[in-house]
Amino acid sequence: MSLQPPRDKRASLADAISLVSDGTMVALGGGLCARLPMAMVRELVRQGRRGLHLIGSAHSIDVDLLVATGAVRRCEESYVGFEQDLGLAPGYRRAAEAGTIEVAESCCATILAQLRAAEMGLPFLPVRGVRGSDIGRLHPEYREITCPFTGETLVAVPALRPDVALLHAPAGDRYGNLHLEQPYVLDERFASASRLVIATVDELVSTEEVVLAGVTIPAHLVAAVAEVPYGAHPSSCYPRYAYDRGHLREYLSGAEAGPGGLEKYLATYVQGNEEDYRDAVGPDRLGVLADWSQSVTGWQEVFR
Amino acid sequence: MSWTIDEWFVITLARTIRPRETVFHGFGSPCAQVAMHVARRTHAPDILLVEGAMYAINPDPPFIPPTSNDESLRRGAVYSMRFEEFFDAAIRGDVDRMFLSGGQIDGSGNTNVTAIGPAGKPKVKLGGGGGGCNLSATIGHLTEWTTRHRSGRTLVEACDFITDIGHRTPLGRRADLGFTGGGPQWLVTELGVFDFPDGQARLVQVFPDVSVAEIRAVTGFDLQAAGDLRTVPPPSVSELAAVRSVDPLGVRTSEFSARELTRVFTRGDGQDCAC
Repeated sequence: MSLQPPRDKRASLADAISLVSDGTMVALGGGLCARLPMAMVRELVRQGRRGLHLIGSAHSIDVDLLVATGAVRRCEESYVGFEQDLGLAPGYRRAAEAGTIEVAESCCATILAQLRAAEMGLPFLPVRGVRGSDIGRLHPEYREITCPFTGETLVAVPALRPDVALLHAPAGDRYGNLHLEQPYVLDERFASASRLVIATVDELVSTEEVVLAGVTIPAHLVAAVAEVPYGAHPSSCYPRYAYDRGHLREYLSGAEAGPGGLEKYLATYVQGNEEDYRDAVGPDRLGVLADWSQSVTGWQEVFR
Repeated sequence: MSWTIDEWFVITLARTIRPRETVFHGFGSPCAQVAMHVARRTHAPDILLVEGAMYAINPDPPFIPPTSNDESLRRGAVYSMRFEEFFDAAIRGDVDRMFLSGGQIDGSGNTNVTAIGPAGKPKVKLGGGGGGCNLSATIGHLTEWTTRHRSGRTLVEACDFITDIGHRTPLGRRADLGFTGGGPQWLVTELGVFDFPDGQARLVQVFPDVSVAEIRAVTGFDLQAAGDLRTVPPPSVSELAAVRSVDPLGVRTSEFSARELTRVFTRGDGQDCAC
């Protein structure tokens, strides 16, 4: 899609996510347990999306929840898991081992090169690594090429143009100007490489406020924006809230227990709407996460 | 003075960092993360420390949290690189050292963080390699580590899947592949320390409560040991203080089995001190 002319792009979460079709290539913003587009992920589950091809860098509960609920056909991230702390991703792991998803594991630097090619309107870019790594075997689309200038052998990786990018920001305006805190991870690249960008923001604010904080992703790249408080929870969205380690553990113990455990989690947290979600998590807990900046001791406690 | 294996381990990792290097760790790497801050607070105050997943330059985090993408890891940093700034720097050869681990590591230093068993139908699907399959090609030196050597499943003759590239792969040596980085320089395990003369892991130091025979029994590749095999030098008072102040939550211990964490070492008065 060409650049978006200025207009009021506010939409409900459900309407925004209705723009994502079954079988499309979906880029997920954020990384690890930070600024994941979780409200949109939950809405994809509510709307029963199927056959998605997910693109991302290092991810966790977002990919795991979509895989566990059967929404995903192909996974193309550099990592899916919960680091040394909470370990492997149970839904992703089970599906990969059973062969019910295609695992096209990739590398951060390769995905970056592929997105840049799409941004530049080029068919490919070369990377220097990958040769000798079995990651290349997961990607028959890669090709070895000889540099016409130096004679070096490099690996050509094709442009990657997601159909939709789902990005969450702490704040944005009604036109879709978004302010993000570092690390932006691949969000800026997703925004310009994808055909369509859908955003959620914890709070819709005035354009003046976004400009003052700094516009990270401009409105002309964004097609729709929905206000969803705590829209990245249980991942963090600084400066608003830290991540909810207890909630991640609860999800993991459910998902590890199999279908029954996952069903219980979905019934408690996903089947209603986002207001129900916040009620189920509880205002006290959300308050603790939002108060991370009160003291270093309190901030540390969030992680215990 | 007494200390535990997790403390000694991260100090040993920290000592692989040389002054003035630009150093990076990936996500999910608490031991390497703590080690970089220990090095910066002890023998290498002038390093350029790039905090993995935040890409913050020389931050002073108030604590190390259990995830590597957290605001606490950006505290005190004047600047954070964009994701692409970091990867560009690493690929063009401006990053001197990276820490890499793996579910499997072979004698050439290839690592597997993708899958145990056949890739098409894995027995265990691991999380994945992040940026490693490109970064391992171009970063100056790699410090590899594992805290699971004793399991017998980690140091293997051949990785089931090569995610990150060591000195030699079935496709050839690094130089044949056009890689500009030097590859693995050290492999630190909870049992000992390896270097890589001629691109092959060689045991050069052992922890004092471990024998070479024990190490041989749990090492899948042919164990070569240096002629002047030594005990890992004990921590100094300042190194131990640095570990404890950098990592008050003890996230480094999440990499160790409960059994390993019972390993406590002491040094009485009157003994030689490496302080």
